Amino acid sequence: MFLHHLDLTTALRPSLLPEETLLFVQDAVGLYEGKFKIAQYQNGQAYLTSHRACYVDHSEPRKSSVAIFLKDVEKPEFYAGFLKSNPKITLYPKPLKQLSRGASVPPNSHSPSSATPPRHSSPVPAPPASATWVCPICSFSNPVPSNFDPALASRTPIPPCLACGIKPPTVLVIKAAIAAMSNRPAPGPPPKDTKNGVPASTSSESSMLSCPRCTFQNHPSLSNCEICGASLMTARDRRLDLPIDPVRSESPGPSVLSPSQSEVPECIKISFRSGGEKIFYERLKNALVQRKWLLQSAPPIPKPRPSSGAFDDNYSTQSNTPSAEMERPRVVGIAGLERRGIEQRQNNEAVIGSAFEDLEALMTSAKEIIALAEQFASHANLGTNDSSEASALASQSASALGLITTKDMLGTGSGSESLYVSELSRNLAEWLTDDTRGILRKEGGIVTLVDLWAVFNRSRGGVELVSPADFEKAARLWDTLKLPVRLRQFKSGLLVVQGRDRTDEKTIASLLAWLKSLHNQKPLADVTWDWQAYGRGVTAQETAERFGWSVGVANEELEMAEEAGALCREHGIDGFRFWENWLVNVPDVTIVV
Amino acid sequence: MTATASPFPSNLSTTTTLQPPSTTDFQFPPHYFFPPFFTLQPVASTRSSQLLSWSSLIQSYCRHNRIFTLSLIDALDTPLFNNAKLSRRLTLRDAKAIISWMASPEGGNRAEFISTGTKKSGKSGGGEDEGGRAWIYWRRPEEWAAALEEWVERTGQKGTVLTLYEIAEGDASRREEFYGMDMELLQRSLGVCVKRGKAQIFGSEGSEGVKFF
Repeated sequence: MFLHHLDLTTALRPSLLPEETLLFVQDAVGLYEGKFKIAQYQNGQAYLTSHRACYVDHSEPRKSSVAIFLKDVEKPEFYAGFLKSNPKITLYPKPLKQLSRGASVPPNSHSPSSATPPRHSSPVPAPPASATWVCPICSFSNPVPSNFDPALASRTPIPPCLACGIKPPTVLVIKAAIAAMSNRPAPGPPPKDTKNGVPASTSSESSMLSCPRCTFQNHPSLSNCEICGASLMTARDRRLDLPIDPVRSESPGPSVLSPSQSEVPECIKISFRSGGEKIFYERLKNALVQRKWLLQSAPPIPKPRPSSGAFDDNYSTQSNTPSAEMERPRVVGIAGLERRGIEQRQNNEAVIGSAFEDLEALMTSAKEIIALAEQFASHANLGTNDSSEASALASQSASALGLITTKDMLGTGSGSESLYVSELSRNLAEWLTDDTRGILRKEGGIVTLVDLWAVFNRSRGGVELVSPADFEKAARLWDTLKLPVRLRQFKSGLLVVQGRDRTDEKTIASLLAWLKSLHNQKPLADVTWDWQAYGRGVTAQETAERFGWSVGVANEELEMAEEAGALCREHGIDGFRFWENWLVNVPDVTIVV
Repeated sequence: MTATASPFPSNLSTTTTLQPPSTTDFQFPPHYFFPPFFTLQPVASTRSSQLLSWSSLIQSYCRHNRIFTLSLIDALDTPLFNNAKLSRRLTLRDAKAIISWMASPEGGNRAEFISTGTKKSGKSGGGEDEGGRAWIYWRRPEEWAAALEEWVERTGQKGTVLTLYEIAEGDASRREEFYGMDMELLQRSLGVCVKRGKAQIFGSEGSEGVKFF
């Protein structure tokens, strides 16, 4: 199976796997299987995560939502759109036996009629040898080691420059590797696909290829730059991507009712009706390059030992490692603890030092930095030990990082603003209903929008703050998105947030139950009325204490109940008190006329 | 119950003579001992129910104590508006609002403000300004007229000429509801009878007589 069932969160977003991060969201997309529209999957949101490409249907999200694991994707293909045909991204599945959970399907289920996608023609290319880094000392172009992984850059030793023997800064190599990977030639469609499109070579500009490194215009037949020797493949392939695409105009196209479950579809297309396809494609390619899903099941990274002089050169690192490993267990007692502490600190120093040198380096080592930040936060909390709820929430910011939808995750199409707001809305709903945080529970099931805004922005840790206007818009969308929280406006205009299941009737019922219980409690002071019959009046203050609401909310809830006729008020010297409404309930003493 | 229905001071109503204290204490309705009863409710449904309760309380209180007109400012200190036991009292504004509601068609025209000074009908808010006095119609003039006719019929006084004093204060009517009735109200009620063609009023101001047919 290529299309997988997708689990959704309460806010109808894909529930992310551990370590999975959201990369991009785009609304108004449809799915195609091969050339055919899939009828139930024609209007929804596409979520690109580090592990999956997900489709969540707009009208029936629980029923019609699918996910494609990126590890099952052989290659993506981009189609820019033509006239009325929308831009599309085609995902070709890997050959059957490599598909996850697809091993039992017999291999002869391949449809031989598929004319367009020659998916077996190009195996997954090995990381290109063209990844080079330029030595800052002697400006010699060194190759990046083929086993170099940017995510683990701070832990893997880097060979020194081949010409001058000086070890390069880690950042430099990481940047080179990332650049090389993102420029890696996507397995391009072979020339026989051109029967549907215009042959790319006819365009005038493709007669000369500019070198991606030195911009020299090379002859198209060359594969390496004449000046600097860099590979020209990337430049050419990116050019070829656009025009050669077998997709044809879709609007009156045939459609199938549901995606075929048993066999591997020849390809799945995502059609972008309101833009966003370019960014989606870029990020999809990056995600395919980074292959984060491999990390998920990978064993923990072996700890480097920075204190052992590992950065001298490659050879000494290799030779030092075993001896240091042997040496470590012998140091015991306080000296050992101290030594471990020192090593730990040095390690942290190295990580932080390398991570903050450059933005890209920071991105690659984001996980470590977050872990460190959390560690520091917990240390800091141990010291002060007076963490209020809000600061506790704020300190959880790191764990919230994976959740948030930021503006740059969204497309730049016309609908991007509303998409941002709706994503923020879902984001908020998820965050509110997250039981581990229990935000609503702590606030007695109801919280004012202003308080929530403050807490939410604090939990974002000062990054990607949400403006009040966006926040209110997002909150107002809860109703239309059918999310499990709702925004309520009290008579005074106060906006509060509460769970959808918490209706006015329930609030009134709990208020009345409380007031009823007062019939059995003797009031503290002597009262002049029959408290067994009438109970007593309660102030907003008491109600707030009783239900854990803020006083403002308590006041509004009481007035709401009064409005509904369940309570009545008494204006005394000490302000308003609210009573059960015996004015209406007790039968009138009718006058005998 | 400690609140006794004490007779009103004589300045309350000019023409009504003092009533002997009622033999029994007035039985207040349960609302009267519910503290919020003395705060006029802002919510419409609750408020109308509360006004109705107040209206019936005022009417039955006035009937019990033979009160035909109520001076609000003075009545605020009476047990009617002041529950001493509960130490809750109605404010003048709320009392006015209640009486205004009673005077409205919605309240069944059970009250009418008495306009002083100008002679125009007190109903049109004239009483609002003075806040002074109001008729409490625990029986409306039409109802009084019917009661009078019934009494005349029952006692066989048709065709005889009765003075107003006889009707309101006479021995024959001592056990009737209209005993001790305000003269002005009595005249109004008789006016209704006249309009219906059931009676005729003779005589001059101050010494009228009435004859029922």
